Amino acid sequence: MKRLDVQALKRSVGVVAALVRLNVAEELQYRANFVASLLGTLFWIGTALLTLALFFRHTTRLGGWDFWEVVVLLGVFNALTGVIEAVLRPGIGQLASEVKSGALDLVLARPVDAQLLVSLRQLDLWRFTDVILGLALSAYALERLHRTPTILQVAAFLVALAAAVLVVYAIWVALMSLAFWFVSVENLSVLFDAVYEGARYPVTAYPGALRFVFVYLVPIAWTTTIPASALTGRIGPAIALGAAAVGATAFFLTRLLWRTALRRYTGASG
Amino acid sequence: MSTTPPAIAARQLSKDFQVKVRDPGLRGAFAALFRPHYRTVRAVRDVSFEIAPGEIVAFLGPNGAGKTTTLKMLAGLLYPSAGAVSVAGFDPWTGGPEFKRRIALVLGNRQQLVWDLPAQETFLLNRAIYDIPLPDFQARVGELAQLLGLEGVLDKPVRQLSLGERMKCELAAALLHRPPILFLDEPTLGLDVSAQDAIRRFLAAYRDRFGATILLTSHYMQDVTALASRVLIINRGRLLYDGALDALVARIARTKRLELVLGDGVTEQRLAAFGTVKSFRSPNAVLEVPRAEAAATSARLLAALPVVDLSIEDPPIEEVIRQAFAEAESEAEA
Amino acid sequence: MSALALWSRRYGAMIRNAWLVDLQYRAAIVLWVLWGVTEPAIALGIWWSIAGDGAVGGYDRADFARYFFGVMLVNALTIAWDSWQLDRWIREGDLNYRLARPLHPVHEALADNLAYKARSAGTIIIVWLVAASVWPAVRLPLEPGRWALVALAVILAAAMRFFISFTTGLLAFWTTRATAIMELHAGVSMFLAGRVAPLALLPPAVATVAQVLWFPYMLAFPVDLLTGAAPTGAALMRGFAGQLIWLAIWITAYRLAWHRGLRRYGAVGG
Repeated sequence: MKRLDVQALKRSVGVVAALVRLNVAEELQYRANFVASLLGTLFWIGTALLTLALFFRHTTRLGGWDFWEVVVLLGVFNALTGVIEAVLRPGIGQLASEVKSGALDLVLARPVDAQLLVSLRQLDLWRFTDVILGLALSAYALERLHRTPTILQVAAFLVALAAAVLVVYAIWVALMSLAFWFVSVENLSVLFDAVYEGARYPVTAYPGALRFVFVYLVPIAWTTTIPASALTGRIGPAIALGAAAVGATAFFLTRLLWRTALRRYTGASG
Repeated sequence: MSTTPPAIAARQLSKDFQVKVRDPGLRGAFAALFRPHYRTVRAVRDVSFEIAPGEIVAFLGPNGAGKTTTLKMLAGLLYPSAGAVSVAGFDPWTGGPEFKRRIALVLGNRQQLVWDLPAQETFLLNRAIYDIPLPDFQARVGELAQLLGLEGVLDKPVRQLSLGERMKCELAAALLHRPPILFLDEPTLGLDVSAQDAIRRFLAAYRDRFGATILLTSHYMQDVTALASRVLIINRGRLLYDGALDALVARIARTKRLELVLGDGVTEQRLAAFGTVKSFRSPNAVLEVPRAEAAATSARLLAALPVVDLSIEDPPIEEVIRQAFAEAESEAEA
Repeated sequence: MSALALWSRRYGAMIRNAWLVDLQYRAAIVLWVLWGVTEPAIALGIWWSIAGDGAVGGYDRADFARYFFGVMLVNALTIAWDSWQLDRWIREGDLNYRLARPLHPVHEALADNLAYKARSAGTIIIVWLVAASVWPAVRLPLEPGRWALVALAVILAAAMRFFISFTTGLLAFWTTRATAIMELHAGVSMFLAGRVAPLALLPPAVATVAQVLWFPYMLAFPVDLLTGAAPTGAALMRGFAGQLIWLAIWITAYRLAWHRGLRRYGAVGG
């Protein structure tokens, strides 16, 4: 078992800091884009709320959830899509096209952990406002529910949210690594976007077949339902333990998948 | 004096663009949003020339000189801010489909070939667009393939071709309808020497065989020396020189540049004995010598000094133009 | 050669090229079709839950199933991507050589549409046939008269959506936000065109607004005809009249935008 390499760790942190600085400098130039993207996010949150309102015009509960409970979940969904747009899509989301074009070789030549570099080198930092908006929406919905979460619940929520990010990351890695085996696959992120729409609603709202898909096949149900449930108190804070285990497993799987894929990649091009 | 009408005629052609101007900083950004200020950029100013049918003419000038803008006006993509232009008897902007059948436009940085399919498919598409009868089409494809050396290239997807092969296919696709007028924007840009050579030879052969009028823009001197009998020099929107190539070369490019990679122990002073040192950053150096003496001086250099690499180049086009401009100015004053 | 033969040859060549290019991107097409399937599938899942054993706004579970399958198919047959395509042509300089040819670029866009619509609709028809073999709820009666009407409504809807998309794309002559406008349109059409729910389930005020605009004729009207929920007699005639009127309006908008846009393009270049 390798000793923890402190120097390597320090270097990685330094690299992350440098990447963040570079991206902030770049993004400050695109203020107009920021405003446009903010308006866009507000528009889509608005449409989502209207859709919910439409559903709730014909029912009082969706999968056992109240309107404002679903809005909490919607806030979590937006926070997660914010992370996806800010970190995943510009980073690991480019992997498929880089494998195809051979640009991945440049990344592999760097003396930094390739998975770290690929995942974090391009950040769309302005999209973190989506995260803030999402969390603000959840907070507002909690207020409307007259429910104030306890410290423990908030902590459980944050753990569950972090785990959700790792699960989504793992799904992206799995999806993108298809490119190592099927080079002609384009637009893989479209697949994710299409299916991830299912995470907008509590998993209990779906009939059996869809529920099976979203819980076991493409486990996106865990990413929004669990954190939202922890925040609203539907599930006790002990769920954080389960979530942490799931998140750690997900991350471990990404390392495994990455190494396997790289072995194939470098082997094939040698 | 020829009585046939010119293939291309431009008279006092001008093109102005309105460019948004904004102050730097946050306040400037907001101000620009609500009250945009514009500045007029005069991309082409009072350019006049006539090109007879069958001529090959090169439009020379540095980047941003106005070559592509002029070309686009001739092709009907932009309309002039002032002046008049006539191509094949049409006003390009209003010429419509009849005019477009008479021209071919090849832009160096964009291609019309469908990327994922073999070039042959784009040929078939163009056949349908330009309404070329089948026997003519087949004959022309064969002819162009032979002239350009495209055996075995036409049925590979375009994305698998080299840059040179792609450019050749691009030319073939553009010429299937055998237009009398060709507009080529930087046709040899980025190609290796043999591909550039092949395309130049092709264009000359094409003109000889079909009498087409060819107008090409370039910032390579070699495009001019190998191909064009006449050159129009444009700089900052103005036409500086319009005339035969030999005269220009003889007048302007009186010098050659020797680009050197030197071995150890060569000082600038030692090099200066052979000619004018334009730049010296060890181990690289650039030496300017009179054109006629270039070969002899190179031989002496190689014999006397440790030279790792040597190449003889024309002076950069910017210098030729600066000289042409300076001479045009001094002529105007005279 | 006669004009008819010339245009047949031209469209034949363009459709063939578009089809061949699509073949190369088989996987990408599948992914886009998937998107067209997941959105209605998720909506169906939610309404299925809400309807339970009863009905909502006159729609029971089987009605919802038929409706959303109808949405999948009609959307595949009518959706137009030209807004994004044109925006890219204009920004990347790909419009120049098209303008120098004796063929109006709109024809290439139309041919492209025919090719990808045929492909994606074909896929969905197969999916529907498979579903219908195991799920009686989604079967449709085969009355030739009705199918003719459906075909007409679909063609009119597809034509209108094409001109909406193309005209919006032409806005790229003036703004860098043409695609944002199209996305706004897509967001609104989620409700007013019947993508998220049959129009009968909308609040009456919203439904009235929809009827005054072109949205129902994009999707809801052909879908209702397809599933048999369509009005008859005078109401049917009004539906077709609405389609024709809005098609005419959007064709006019397209011609105006093209004429003005080309003039602007000739002024500022591209």
